[in-house]
Amino acid sequence: MADLQIDHVTKAFGDTQVLKGISLDIADGEFVSLVGPSGCGKSTLLRIIAGLEGQTSGAIRINGQDVSGIRAADRNLSMVFQSYALYPHLTVAENISVPLKMRQLSASQRLPVIGPFIPGARNRNVEIAAAVKHAAQTLEIDNLLDRKPGQLSGGQRQRVALGRALVREPAAFLLDEPLSNLDAKLRVQTRAEIAELHRRLGATFVYVTHDQVEAMTMSSRIAVMMGGEILQCDAPDEVYNNPLDIRVAEFIGSPKINILPVEASDGALTFDNVVLPTLAPKNLSGPVRIGLRPEALRLAGEDAVLAGQVVHVENLGSEIFAQISLAGHDGRVTLRAAPEQRSSLYIGANVGLAFDGSAALLFGSDGKRIFNPHTVPAQSEVA
Amino acid sequence: MPVIACAETAQRRTAWWLTAPALGLMVLILLIPVVIAGVLSFTDYSLGNDTFNWVGAKNYDRLFSRSTYEKMFIATFTYVVTVVPLSVGLGLGAALLINSMGRIGDIYKTIYFLPVMATLLAMAIAWEFMLHPSIGMVNRTLEMSCGTILEIIPFLKNGCADRFPLWLGDKDYAIWVICFIGVWQGFGFNMVLYLAGLTGVHRELYHAAEMDGAKSGWERFRLVTWPALGPTTVFVVTISCIRAFQVFDTIEAFWPQGGGPNKSTYVMMFAIFEKGIQQNLIGIGSAITVLFLIFVMFLTLIQRWLVERKVHY
Ligand SMILES: Nc1ncnc2c1ncn2[C@@H]1O[C@H](COP(=O)(O)OP(=O)(O)OP(=O)(O)O)[C@@H](O)[C@H]1O
Ligand SMILES: [Mg+2]
Repeated sequence: MADLQIDHVTKAFGDTQVLKGISLDIADGEFVSLVGPSGCGKSTLLRIIAGLEGQTSGAIRINGQDVSGIRAADRNLSMVFQSYALYPHLTVAENISVPLKMRQLSASQRLPVIGPFIPGARNRNVEIAAAVKHAAQTLEIDNLLDRKPGQLSGGQRQRVALGRALVREPAAFLLDEPLSNLDAKLRVQTRAEIAELHRRLGATFVYVTHDQVEAMTMSSRIAVMMGGEILQCDAPDEVYNNPLDIRVAEFIGSPKINILPVEASDGALTFDNVVLPTLAPKNLSGPVRIGLRPEALRLAGEDAVLAGQVVHVENLGSEIFAQISLAGHDGRVTLRAAPEQRSSLYIGANVGLAFDGSAALLFGSDGKRIFNPHTVPAQSEVA
Repeated sequence: MPVIACAETAQRRTAWWLTAPALGLMVLILLIPVVIAGVLSFTDYSLGNDTFNWVGAKNYDRLFSRSTYEKMFIATFTYVVTVVPLSVGLGLGAALLINSMGRIGDIYKTIYFLPVMATLLAMAIAWEFMLHPSIGMVNRTLEMSCGTILEIIPFLKNGCADRFPLWLGDKDYAIWVICFIGVWQGFGFNMVLYLAGLTGVHRELYHAAEMDGAKSGWERFRLVTWPALGPTTVFVVTISCIRAFQVFDTIEAFWPQGGGPNKSTYVMMFAIFEKGIQQNLIGIGSAITVLFLIFVMFLTLIQRWLVERKVHY
């Protein structure tokens, strides 16, 4: 087991700067998710950690040792590729057994035809077969062991790729969107399997995903990547409740956070000439933005600070999401409401909204978080 | 239901109409000649004669009893068995090397492909000069080693003491010279086919192999490259076999009068040409042709079987 240190890694393909100085310390046994929009460099970072791609500058350290000169095969990492990369001529069982065979059998024991007769090969092969069977059972592909990858569905292939990575016990696992092609039920199940495996092995995981739910539920920490940078790397609830950048706030959370343009002056915030219940730092003035999670908003009568008209309602049974077009604002805001409030949330209804001053997240015009006096963390530099 | 059935019949009829020209041509220029050759192989027909006699299996009988034809089979199979593995192996090796190179690879690609594009007949004349026993470049070069340390090699020692081989005039060497030229001329073609096959190898598979611990080039070759080249290999081997069975122009260029020293390079194509065209013995020529077709057909069937069974995933 190992800790991973990514130290100011940059990567350029020709003129395009794909990674712009990524630094991330991953402790031994940690489960870190890399999330970010498509093309932000997640796979590239993973491949640099694996050693399949060289970084332009910076260093990767595994257990404190700089692995720059060490080839991928010797870094003892195991990886699930976004494109599965299964060997098309081998059966599922053979595919899963390749990493074990390569590492546990000697060169002569791997020879075709005579290999199995070399002393010691027999016992090893039995062990390997057992390990393969076990991995296949965990991933529910034990009935597919004799098939070739060409005869499998996308989700089944993905599980085989996962099996090939999980059958070993490497220093760390690198998983590149390993569940993206599974159906909802299997995804939840496999998610639990991976989380369980992580607990059992105590291994270090770096997990790339598009799916926030995966990131939120499985990770010890989430690293939000955008445009080749890590904007924030924190525990899931911290990333959700305390995003440090407006792009993080917008990326994490579904439905998306509501962003309102507001005017700051003298420690007060106004939206469309209405004073909001949120305080701002005294020295702040000019246009800023506040972020309000859908669950921070509530329907209100007299005490409403925002007013608008319901334009769309989504009823999920346990909760209702209503989109409300605000007066004096061209965007819409999303409100999460309890099912009991359904009667007042019909299309065309005029509603008033209120929110707790402390629930609003304040962002400067540069998109960086400004801590307002309500939520000043102890160590914050803002007076 | 009737409408669909009707549409299906109409579609089937159209399909027949559309394939008819191709089918007609195939029958006309492929099947009919084969059938005629088959029929003629049981006769003693000569071109220009009005009649012919049925001779039964006599022509085939002769093929399998006369020593000339024994030499023909030996020469043909020696050529095929030598040239096919060597030109396939070298083609694959060259393709792998060129594929691992950058820009310079293109130069090698051109060099190795030149003999394929050149006319073998013209090349044969160049080879004839090079292999000339006294003034040829090959023996001149070998003579330069006389008196040097290289003489410890038995071949050179004997050559210096006595004389270097006559190459094209020596019955022990002639067939091997033909094989060498066949390999030299043919492997560039296989290389190009393999280069095309290599572009289809999924690059990520090499990365997967690396992560799985395949460290040596050999392991990666066995795990990724070779299986991916399976279909290409079947095709390349079949094409090489058929081309090897068809070897003719070098032999015709070197020995227009009959199959090399002591008929040691009397290959099938040359025999067909000599018997059927030069000596106007259509019957025996047809018999050899039929035999030739059977070999080629056999190879093609093996290829089809392999393609369907093993190399498709
Ligand atoms: N070999 C390459 N040459 C040039 N550009 C590349 C190369 N590989 C990746 N890129 C570019 O680098 C950027 C990051 O790619 P990467 O595959 O890391 O994205 P990603 O975050 O994994 O996206 P996704 O979520 O869609 O998988 C992309 O803009 C891509 O076009
Ligand atoms: Mg990716």
